Amino acid sequence: MMNYKIFIWMLIVPFVINGQNKISGNHSTQNLTCSTCHSCDIPTKENPCIKVCPRESMIRIDQPVTDAPKIFVINKIRETDIYSPVKFSHLAHAEMSGLAGGCRTCHHYNPPGNVIGCSDCHESSRKRTDISKPDLKGAYHQQCMNCHRAWSGSTDCTVCHELKGKEKSQTSVVSNNKKRIHPEIKTPDKISFAAKTKQGKLVTFYHNEHINLFSLECSDCHSNESCIKCHSTNKTASTKTISEKIKHKKCSSCHNTESNCSSCHSNSEAGGFNHKSVTGFDLSKFHSKLDCARCHTSKSGFKGLNNECKTCHGTWTLENFKHKSTGLVLDETHSELDCENCHKELSYSKPVCEDCHDDKSYPNNLPGKRAK
Amino acid sequence: MANQSRRNFLKTSALIGAGLTGVSSKPAKAAPNNILDENRMGVLVDTTVCIGCRKCEWACKTAHNLSAQSIESYNDRSVFKNMRRPDDKTLTVVNEYAAKGDDQFPVDVKVQCMHCDKPACVSACIVGAFSKEKNGSVIWNGDRCIGCRYCMVACPFQVPAFEYGKAIQPEVRKCDFCFDRTKDGKLPACVEICPMEVLTYGRREELIDLAHQKISLYPDRYVNNVYGEHEVGGTSWLYLAGRDFHELQFPKLGTNPAPGVSEAIQHGIFAYFVPPIALYALFGGVMWLNKNRKQDEHKEANHE
Amino acid sequence: MSEFIKPTPMPRKYFTPTVIFLSVIALVGIIFVFARLIFGIGTVTNLSNQYPWGIWIGIDVAAGVALAAGGFTTAALGHIMHKEEYHLITRPALLTAMLGYTFVAMSVAIDLGRYYYIWHPLIMWNGTSVLFEVGICVMIYLTVLYIEFLPIVTERFIGRVNLPGLLKKYNNSVDKFLRALDRGLDKTMFIFIIAGVVLSCLHQSSLGTLMVIAGPKMHPLWQTPILPLLFLLSAISVGLPMVIFESVLTSRSFDLKPETPILAGLGRMIAPILFIYLSFKIGDMVIRQTFVYLTEFNTASVMFVIELVLGIIVPLRLFMSPQIQRSPLGLSIASFLVIFGVFLNRLNNFIVAYTPPYQFTPYFPSVGEIFVTAGFIAIEVLLFRAFVMIFPIVSVPQIPAVHKTKFSIRGAK
Repeated sequence: MMNYKIFIWMLIVPFVINGQNKISGNHSTQNLTCSTCHSCDIPTKENPCIKVCPRESMIRIDQPVTDAPKIFVINKIRETDIYSPVKFSHLAHAEMSGLAGGCRTCHHYNPPGNVIGCSDCHESSRKRTDISKPDLKGAYHQQCMNCHRAWSGSTDCTVCHELKGKEKSQTSVVSNNKKRIHPEIKTPDKISFAAKTKQGKLVTFYHNEHINLFSLECSDCHSNESCIKCHSTNKTASTKTISEKIKHKKCSSCHNTESNCSSCHSNSEAGGFNHKSVTGFDLSKFHSKLDCARCHTSKSGFKGLNNECKTCHGTWTLENFKHKSTGLVLDETHSELDCENCHKELSYSKPVCEDCHDDKSYPNNLPGKRAK
Repeated sequence: MANQSRRNFLKTSALIGAGLTGVSSKPAKAAPNNILDENRMGVLVDTTVCIGCRKCEWACKTAHNLSAQSIESYNDRSVFKNMRRPDDKTLTVVNEYAAKGDDQFPVDVKVQCMHCDKPACVSACIVGAFSKEKNGSVIWNGDRCIGCRYCMVACPFQVPAFEYGKAIQPEVRKCDFCFDRTKDGKLPACVEICPMEVLTYGRREELIDLAHQKISLYPDRYVNNVYGEHEVGGTSWLYLAGRDFHELQFPKLGTNPAPGVSEAIQHGIFAYFVPPIALYALFGGVMWLNKNRKQDEHKEANHE
Repeated sequence: MSEFIKPTPMPRKYFTPTVIFLSVIALVGIIFVFARLIFGIGTVTNLSNQYPWGIWIGIDVAAGVALAAGGFTTAALGHIMHKEEYHLITRPALLTAMLGYTFVAMSVAIDLGRYYYIWHPLIMWNGTSVLFEVGICVMIYLTVLYIEFLPIVTERFIGRVNLPGLLKKYNNSVDKFLRALDRGLDKTMFIFIIAGVVLSCLHQSSLGTLMVIAGPKMHPLWQTPILPLLFLLSAISVGLPMVIFESVLTSRSFDLKPETPILAGLGRMIAPILFIYLSFKIGDMVIRQTFVYLTEFNTASVMFVIELVLGIIVPLRLFMSPQIQRSPLGLSIASFLVIFGVFLNRLNNFIVAYTPPYQFTPYFPSVGEIFVTAGFIAIEVLLFRAFVMIFPIVSVPQIPAVHKTKFSIRGAK
C-alpha cells in the first residue's frame, strides 16, 4: 500500500516539475527592464551578455497551491546512499509561505506559464561543465536550509531525511479535512502595545476579534515574515526597534493612522470592539447573528455604512416587514398604519405616539403586545 | 718540491671544479614535476552558504581511511566552541564564527590545505617529497619523506601535520585534494558530499570568474575579495566570505609566492654553481699566493 | 727550524668530578634519546603541528653549526691566509668542529621523524630546497672534517701501531698503510681545506636562508632577506671567540699556561668582524624600519635587545680595549659574550621569532628535549677531553718559550 503511494508520487512529480517554458508574450508588456536579464547596456545578437541567473529581479508569477501535488518525493539525486529521499510536503510549505514571501520564497525563477522545476536549471550531477549555478543537490539544500537552519538552529540531516535503512513507517503528513496542514497556531486574544507617545500610550489590540469578527486571514497582516518569527530557538532577533511608520503600516489598511489616533491609542486598556460605541449603530438588537460581511460588502475593508435601514433592506413597507420580528406584535389599529406614521426617523428607532395620542408615550404604552 | 705541489694543486682544483659543474645539472631533473597547468582545478568555498554540518570532515576521513566516527556524531556542534586546525588525523575541519551585527547566521569556514600555485612545501622539502600536480593538487610522497618537518615551518597556512606519536614511518599529513579520487575522474570526497554545494569544483580560472560574478551580483552578501586569488601567488582553493577574511582567521599574506625570496637567494648563491666555484678559486688563489710569499720569505731569510 | 711548541697527547687521569657530573647528564640524555627512538618524537618533546622545530634544531643544529665555526675560521686564517703562528690553534678548533658537526648530524638524525632515511637527500635532490643545500653541505663538510683530522690520527699511530692479540702480525702492514695515507693526505690536504672553508661559507649562510621561507611566521625583527649574510657574518665573528674561550678552558682544565699572545692576536681580529656584523644588523633594522617593534615590550623585543647589546655591542667594546686583549680572563669573558650572543641569535631566529599564525600553546622545550641537548653537549665535552688525551691536539711548550716577535707584531693593530 505504502509503496503504491510512493509510486504514484514518483509518477506525478516529473510531470509537475517538468515543463520549461518560453517567456511568453512581448517583453515590453512585462514588468522588466533590460538590466533584469542583460548585464551590459547594449546587448547584441553576438554578445547578448545574458545574466547567469537573474533570480532576484526576475518576474515571478504565483500559481494556486492546489495545482501542485501535496507531497513530492525528492529523489532526483542518486549520488548519495547515506540518506533516503525527502518526502517534501509542498502543501504545508506553500500554505505557510503565504505568511512569508509567497511562492517566490522558493520558486525564485517563475516566468508566466507552467511552473519551472528545480532540475530544469540545476544539473543533477555535481561534476559538470557549467558551474555558474549550484547543482540540484546544492540548490535544494540551499533553498531549504535557509529557513530550516534559522528556526531550529539545527543542521541535523535527519530533520528532513531518514537514514537509509532506518526509515520509519510512513507518517501521514496530510490530514485532508483540516483547513490547514500547519498545526493550529495558538494566538493571543489581546495584546497590549506600549507606545512611546505621552498621550494614548496604550494600544490594546484584540487579535481574536481581528480573526473572528473581522475575518482577517493570517496573511492579511502577516506577510513577508520569516519563519523564525515563530520558529526560532532564540527569539531575541525579533526585538529590533521598528519605526513608527512601519508599525502603523499594518493597521493603516483598515484604520486611519494619520489623524484618528484616539481610535486605537488610549491611556487605559480599551475594551473589545463594540459596534454601538464605535459606530453608533447597535447590533445587539437585530444584527447580532450576522457576519460582518453581510452588511459590509466592500472588499476593501470595513467602510462606514449609512445607518438607515434602507441601505441594506430597501424601503420598509407593510408588505415586506413583519413587525413581529421586533418583538412587538402590533394590534389591529396600528398594523394598518404606514411605517412612517409612527417612525419618523430613517433608522426606525423610537416611534412617535404624540402625533395621534395626547396622553400616550412609548415605551409606557405599547401599540400592541410583546411577542413571546 | 714547491713546484710539484703547485702543479698538483692546479690539477686537483680543475678536477673538482669539473666534478661540481657536472653535478649541478642534476637537481633540475630530480626535482618533482611542478608545472602549473592552465587547466588546473580548484575549489571555490562560499562560506556564506556553509551550514557547518561537518559532512566534509566525515567524508574526508572516510576517503582517507582515517577511522571516522558514525556520521550522526558529526552533528555535534559543541566542537565549534574551540577553534580547530587540521591535524594528522583530521585533514579538514570546519570552524564556526559567531554571528555578528545584523547577521542572521554564524559563519562556518572549512579549513584544509590551500594547494598553492607556488607551494612553499614543494620548494622547501629537502627530498622533494611534495609536488604540485597537473590538476592542481599538492601531494606528499611517503617514499621520499624523511620527517624533517621543514614543510611545516615553510607553509604559510600552517597546514601540514606530523604524526608525532609514531616512532616508525610517521607521516606528514595534509589534504591531498583527493588525488587518488580525482585521478579516477571522481570528485574530491568533501566536494561530493557537501549538501549545500559550498564547495564548487572546477577549473581555477573559471572559479575566479564565478567568484567575481557572485560578488558583483550580490555586493551586500560578499566582501569584495576572493581569498586565494592572489595570496602567496594564488591558491587552488578560493574563498568567498561575507565579512573580512581576517575576522575569520585567514592569515594576512602578501601576493608574493611564499618560496619567492628564499628561492631567489638560493638561486643567487647557486647560480649554476658559479659563485661557490668562484669562491673556491678565490680561496685557492689566496692560499697559493700566501704560500709562495711565505716560502720566498723563508728563502730570502735563508740566503741572508 | 725546530718548533718551540708542539701538539702532544695529554695523558692525564680522565675522571674528575666534573667529568663524572657530565657523564651522568650524558647518560640521562642517552636514555631520552632511546625513549624518542622507541616511542616517537611526540612522547619526548613538546613539538606540535604549530611548532615543528624545537631546541633540537634551534640549539643543537643551528647554534651547534654556528659555534663550530671555529673550524673554518682558523682554517682560513692558518692555512689560506697562511699565518703560521696560528697553526697551533687550528687543531683544537678542528677537533671542536669535527665533534660539533658530528653531534649536529646526530641531533638532526634524532629530530628526523624517519631518522633511518637520513641518507635520502644524497640521492633525492631538490634544488630549490635550502634545507637540501644545508644538508648536503653539512654532510660533505663533515666528511672533509674527518679527512682533515686523519693526519692527526696518522701522526699519533705511525711507528706506534700496536694491535692486540692475534692482530699483532698486521702491525707492520697497518703502519705501512698509515704512512701511505699520510703521504697522500699531505699532498691533497689543501683541496680539503679550501673545500671546508667554501662549504662552511655556503651552509653557514644558508642556515640563515632556512627561515626566510617561514615569511610572516617569523618576527620582523629577525625576518630579513639578508638573513644569510647575517648568519655568515655572525658565524665568522663567533669562530675566533670560540677558539679563545675553548683554549682558555682547556688550559685551565689541563693546568697549562694560556697561550696569551696568540689569543691576544686573535682577539684583535674579532673587533672589526663584530663591527661589520653589528653595522649590517643595525643597517638592516634601519632600512626595514623594524626598530618600531622595539617600543613594544614582549619576549621578542627583549630577546632582540639582549642579543644586540650583550651579544654584540658589549663584547665589541671589550675587544677594542688593550687591557682586555692582554688578559686571558678578559678575553674569555668577551669571547663568552660573543658566543652567548650568537647562540641567542640562533635560538631567537629558530624559536623565539617563530610565531605560528594559529597558536594553541606556546612552545617551551620539554624536560626530554633539554636533557637530550644537554646530554649531547656533555658527550661532546667528554669526547673532546678524551681526544685531547689520546691525540696530539693541544700544543705544549717543548722547550722554554721564546717569543717569535716577528709574527706577533704583524698581527697587531
